[in-house]
Amino acid sequence: MLAWGSLSKTDVIAAIAVIALLAVAPLVGSRYIVGIMTVALCYAIWATSWDFMSGLTGRENFGHALFIGTGAYTAGFLNVSFGLSPCWGFPAAAIVAVLFSLVIGIPTLRLRGPYFALAMLSGAVVMQKLSIIFSETTGGQDGLNGLSPMLRSQVSAYYFTLAALVVTVIVLKFIALSPWGTILRAIRGDEATCQAAGINVNFYKISALMISAAFAGFGGALYANYQLQVGPDLFDVALSINIIIMVYVGGMGSIYGAVGGALLLIGLTEGLRSFSEYRLWVYTLILILILFFIPNGVIAPAWVRLREWIKGRGALFTRRASA
Amino acid sequence: MLDILIYGAVISAVYALLAVGFTLIFGVARILNLAHGAFYALGAYCVYTLTANLHVPLVVAAIIAVLLVALFGIAMERVLVRPLRRLPPLAVLMMTLAVGLMVEQILLLIFGSEARNVPSLVESSFNFGGVLLSGQRLLAFFCSVAILGGLWLFMQHTRLGAAILAVSQDPEGARYMGIPSDRIFSIVMGLSAAIAAAAGVLVAPFQSVIPGMGLLPLVKAFAIVIVGGLGSIPGSIVGALLLGYTETIVAFKASIEWSQIVSVAAVLIVLIIRPAGFFGKRAAF
Repeated sequence: MLAWGSLSKTDVIAAIAVIALLAVAPLVGSRYIVGIMTVALCYAIWATSWDFMSGLTGRENFGHALFIGTGAYTAGFLNVSFGLSPCWGFPAAAIVAVLFSLVIGIPTLRLRGPYFALAMLSGAVVMQKLSIIFSETTGGQDGLNGLSPMLRSQVSAYYFTLAALVVTVIVLKFIALSPWGTILRAIRGDEATCQAAGINVNFYKISALMISAAFAGFGGALYANYQLQVGPDLFDVALSINIIIMVYVGGMGSIYGAVGGALLLIGLTEGLRSFSEYRLWVYTLILILILFFIPNGVIAPAWVRLREWIKGRGALFTRRASA
Repeated sequence: MLDILIYGAVISAVYALLAVGFTLIFGVARILNLAHGAFYALGAYCVYTLTANLHVPLVVAAIIAVLLVALFGIAMERVLVRPLRRLPPLAVLMMTLAVGLMVEQILLLIFGSEARNVPSLVESSFNFGGVLLSGQRLLAFFCSVAILGGLWLFMQHTRLGAAILAVSQDPEGARYMGIPSDRIFSIVMGLSAAIAAAAGVLVAPFQSVIPGMGLLPLVKAFAIVIVGGLGSIPGSIVGALLLGYTETIVAFKASIEWSQIVSVAAVLIVLIIRPAGFFGKRAAF
């Protein structure tokens, strides 16, 4: 477990506190709030999986919705068209999303520049249009309806999503802290040097995309199972862009920051409901202010500061005790 | 056959207008400007407000609209983009994205989501060997070609154009030669915004003017620029012709729905076969 070395006790305690807080939420919140929070947790899974590939290697993916949508549609097809139990949807969704990541990743991740971003963006748009053209099988604009729920009650669905998020973050953070993750970060820093050091850069980038796609597809299946409905808007450019904004606000490359960003922005959109028609305008205004004044993101840098502060106080106490 | 030829030419010309501005600001300042679609929408809405609410004559309104959007582009570059240039490129990308979303929201707040109508400058239709073409489409074609020609003359025969080309070829070298690259970035952003606005103004009479009208042109501009090669102006014109004609052929022979896939599928194919695009320099990646 060498990889966990760089995590301090403060980090672990804070993580457990946040999980506990999220676990208590359904006991106090209304049905409506629990519903919003389940969706927010799905977004958090998508955002962390985006951050794993793009935050670590610095190759921005502008079509993450491609993996989410294919995952959700896979789960939907297996359940609605083939009548399989919803449990099969999760592994199948991850596998199909990984296949798509290979199709786009292998030709375009060799290239520097915005090509990968654009290929992902257009891949998602193509899938969205295809899902509307082949409306006999995909249900067109309405999508697939009437998925049979895996969990009966809303609260158990919430806890299932929360557990999935926790596992996702632990696995992705573990890889990110391992030597493997160090190589991914090195690729972001200087790709040419990595190549000179004999690292097969393309292999690492493509496998990072595969892992990212697997979790995004899984998250898509989770969302489909919660909403009991799959539609072409799961391929939407707006969804991909929303995810990028969440990670950006959370702080890129930290994995946990993406979770914070997702919860913060979903909370913000809900909080701005009183502005009614000005809601999205205020949202974009806040976004511009954040991008301008806090370009490194909010959640992850804030936590790093807070941790330093806690450690500083701790050091002060121990020094006093020893004196 | 003739109808494909004529309609394809009109679409290609407008696409070229959109793509040239997009590729210009990328080639010079390395900015992937996701607010480009917003410039296009702003141009159309400016003309609408000036003619419908302030009763300005159409030609004057068109010129004022282009100038206003150019000023908006320059202001965006100076105030929001320039301070972020020392950060990783994603910061600038996110900022242009946020500005694009914001413009759409503001248009939605002021004008609502229903489509607005902008009057045509030329009401009559023309008949080309049995193909009926509305005067506004014909005007859009000729204006687009004129603007592209003007841009070419400007780039080739003025000192400012030469400076812009120099910055796009080697920003550092250009700075050593005493070219103020920051000011060039502003000017190019203004120019690119003006060209996008002109495209918006020209198509406004025969397109539905809605707040979200900029998204599809942005994706198209992306596609054309990838096919032609990022940063290459001749490449983006050839890309526009290719995409414009392919879309028209698919729309006539198959359906409108499939024609919308063509541009994005073309991007995927070109990226896989020849990622630099047909005219892009290999140094670009």
